[in-house]
Amino acid sequence: MIKAIIAFLLVGLLPARALAEADLTIVASLSTGWVRNFNPFNETTRLHSVRDFVYEPLVVFNAMHGGTPDFRLATDFNYSGNLLQLSFKLRDGVEWSDGHAFSARDVVFTFNMLRAHRELDSQNIWDRISAVEAPDADTVLFTLKRVNSNIAFEIVRVPIVPEHVWSKVADPVTFTNDNPVGSGPMTEIRRFTSQIYQQCRNPHYWDTQHLKVDCLNFPQVGTNEQLLTAAAAGTIDWFGAFLPDIERTYVATDPNHHRYWFPPGGTVAININFDSPDPSNRAAFRNVNFRRAVSMAIDRGAIVDIAGYGYPVVNEYASGLGRTYLGWVDAEAEKEFGAYAHFDKDAARALLAESGFRDRDGRGFVANPDGRPISFTILAPNGWTDWVNTTELVAESLNQIGIHASVSTPEPAAWTQKLISGSYDMAINGYLTGETPYRSFDMGFHSRFSGKTRFAATRFVDPELDQALDAFISTIDPAAQRQAMNKVQMILASNMPYVPLYSNPIWYEYSTKRFKGWFNGDNPVARPDVFDGTPERLLHLLALEPVAP
Amino acid sequence: MAFLLRRLGFYVAAFIAAASFNFLIPRLMPGNPIDTMFAQAGTALPPESLDALKRTFGFLDEPLPLQYLHYLGSVFTWDLGLSVKFYPLTVNQVLVRALPWTLLLVATSSLSAFAVGSLAGAQAAWKRGGGFDSVGAPAALVLQAVPPLVTSLLALYLFAISLKWLPTGFAWDPMIDLDWSWQSVWSVLYHAVLPVTTLALAQIGGYLVTMRNSMINLLGEDYITLGQAKGLTERRLRLAYAAYNALLPALTSFAMSLGAVFGGSLVTEVVFNYPGLGYTLYEGITSRDYPLIQGQLLIMTLAMLSANFIADLLYILVDPRLRRA
Repeated sequence: MIKAIIAFLLVGLLPARALAEADLTIVASLSTGWVRNFNPFNETTRLHSVRDFVYEPLVVFNAMHGGTPDFRLATDFNYSGNLLQLSFKLRDGVEWSDGHAFSARDVVFTFNMLRAHRELDSQNIWDRISAVEAPDADTVLFTLKRVNSNIAFEIVRVPIVPEHVWSKVADPVTFTNDNPVGSGPMTEIRRFTSQIYQQCRNPHYWDTQHLKVDCLNFPQVGTNEQLLTAAAAGTIDWFGAFLPDIERTYVATDPNHHRYWFPPGGTVAININFDSPDPSNRAAFRNVNFRRAVSMAIDRGAIVDIAGYGYPVVNEYASGLGRTYLGWVDAEAEKEFGAYAHFDKDAARALLAESGFRDRDGRGFVANPDGRPISFTILAPNGWTDWVNTTELVAESLNQIGIHASVSTPEPAAWTQKLISGSYDMAINGYLTGETPYRSFDMGFHSRFSGKTRFAATRFVDPELDQALDAFISTIDPAAQRQAMNKVQMILASNMPYVPLYSNPIWYEYSTKRFKGWFNGDNPVARPDVFDGTPERLLHLLALEPVAP
Repeated sequence: MAFLLRRLGFYVAAFIAAASFNFLIPRLMPGNPIDTMFAQAGTALPPESLDALKRTFGFLDEPLPLQYLHYLGSVFTWDLGLSVKFYPLTVNQVLVRALPWTLLLVATSSLSAFAVGSLAGAQAAWKRGGGFDSVGAPAALVLQAVPPLVTSLLALYLFAISLKWLPTGFAWDPMIDLDWSWQSVWSVLYHAVLPVTTLALAQIGGYLVTMRNSMINLLGEDYITLGQAKGLTERRLRLAYAAYNALLPALTSFAMSLGAVFGGSLVTEVVFNYPGLGYTLYEGITSRDYPLIQGQLLIMTLAMLSANFIADLLYILVDPRLRRA
């Protein structure tokens, strides 16, 4: 009898254990209600769990470690001798989540689809490649229009979709891909409501030995405050957010499990508009000594501590390169111009005085050498509290050396529009990171982008800078690349078209309650955030495993 | 009848004027939907791709007057186009998704606030100067003067975060699929407690004071004295004689607040992560989703005008003097 009861209890318990799934709860983007859209090419409303998790990249380049490749659907890539062709070798035995074999034809199909539908080609990659072919089922050959050593990074950002599904899609632009067939670890959409959706394990995934997570839960969270509320309650495993005073607001709510790690990311800087609509401000902004004085007036350490709660890392490089790319720093440029990126109020005042910027009417603010007054506002996007506070401290610092500046906080949409259209004087702005510093410098300062994106908002152009940036990608020789990058830094450091403040933290918080294997300061494998645009999150997902119950 | 026709004419004119402003206002805001979306993506779309995208969402680079005509056509056929922010949903779908929650939230709280506030106001006026009048009425006013943001944040902190009696967000438990089972209904009610209560608290004071003031005026009237002299019960006198007639001003403000129902309650919805219309409109504005903003404002306009019209009709029912006019 007792045996029977024990047996009954065991039978009752065992299946429950076997059924317990390893569900990882993630907040990868804020939303007021999920809408089903798993089209990976849709730049505007695709769900942020489509790329990398449903569609696996060919290669993940590890931006934290100089772009070292982690091969996924491809196992190798090579440039031809003249650097005008790039071939990828594909992995054997990879299957789509419906069991069809993955092959080079899928890659060729995907790229040709982007050529036919330009609105899907958000990187405008067909501007740099001229053909994509599949010499055999395991090889894809890209022909380039001109030498471009950066192209591999850009090619792998294109999600590869299955030909046998997408060739039947009437209009891939408006297609919402409700039940995606993918190559990544998490392809099965098990539940979908406006409040939560669940993305589960791909039954045909090739790298099952590393995949210890069964399902991803994406609860809908509308604001940072709600995110903090949910995270403090311990319901979220992996997210990224600016949380004020994180030790108290998040870590203290479960000191044994709640953790964060904020490695340095993209540069945050004050943009100075070379084409300011106001002629007298413009005259001052085009004077390099004025820009240097602005930079020297700012106490970056204090800003990091006060506005950033100590999370960011100061950026005291005249080129703006930042601690993120320590290995690329041009010592010469910093030796010559680095002083202009360090706080020195007296030197700032002296520089203004010797350049003819003097207070002419006794109101305490300097004017141009020809007597025209200087007065401007610095824009910061409303609601981005750390940036708004930063900008306020910058304006105070400028007032202290006699520059008449104040802060204006338009809504984010208006801030963006002003940066693009050029109707502003100064503004705080942030730059993206990449595998090398090339991406943020190119997007910020190459003349072909000037005035077209929010990143290229300073309207500073220099043919030599364009040449140096182009030279960087026209070679794969590390020495020649370094030389080109040094030139870029030298030009930026000597002209100071923007005022670097700090490297924005990569926002990453996690809980060790249910999963282990997290990236952190002791385990710095790769960029740790879970946002769309960080392909390393795939490596991170595969590194996680459930904590033994 | 003439009165009704006059009102109706006024409402049609008001609607056309409002619809025109509705067209202009989003376009006067700096920024446009496509740029706003791409600004964060960090991609530089070539012009032809951008144009193709704009066509997808129906933003044509045609002259403003022509856009206006197309817009008017869409208003009268109620084909409001695709939402940019919630693509692939149409504006109608987005609004329909949010509408039930807003109706539940704001209608419940307005109705209960109206009922409680008016009854309490009648009570306070009847026993004016008494204990309830000197404590309850000012207390209700204080409660109303506190911004809804403060009340809802305090309530959230106290009941949801500290005491954990009630949920911190969502309109129902995300882990269950919504249907008409008891579990679903219970979940919806459980999640509505905090938002409905905080919204109602903020409105009670207004109804209480409106009711109290207009009733105190009436209590001095001869017909009340006559009623007392006739020996009517106090209850009958208070409710059917005094309160019924004092209801007019309260009814107007109630009708107005019913119109505002369709605007949703932005603050409450944001704080409690409640998927209503106010939150939807806010999202539409920040992402410059012109079609969505227009659709939502249109609904609000229609609701406001209809509510006013209904109030006009109610007046005729309640106030016999108007029937003769």
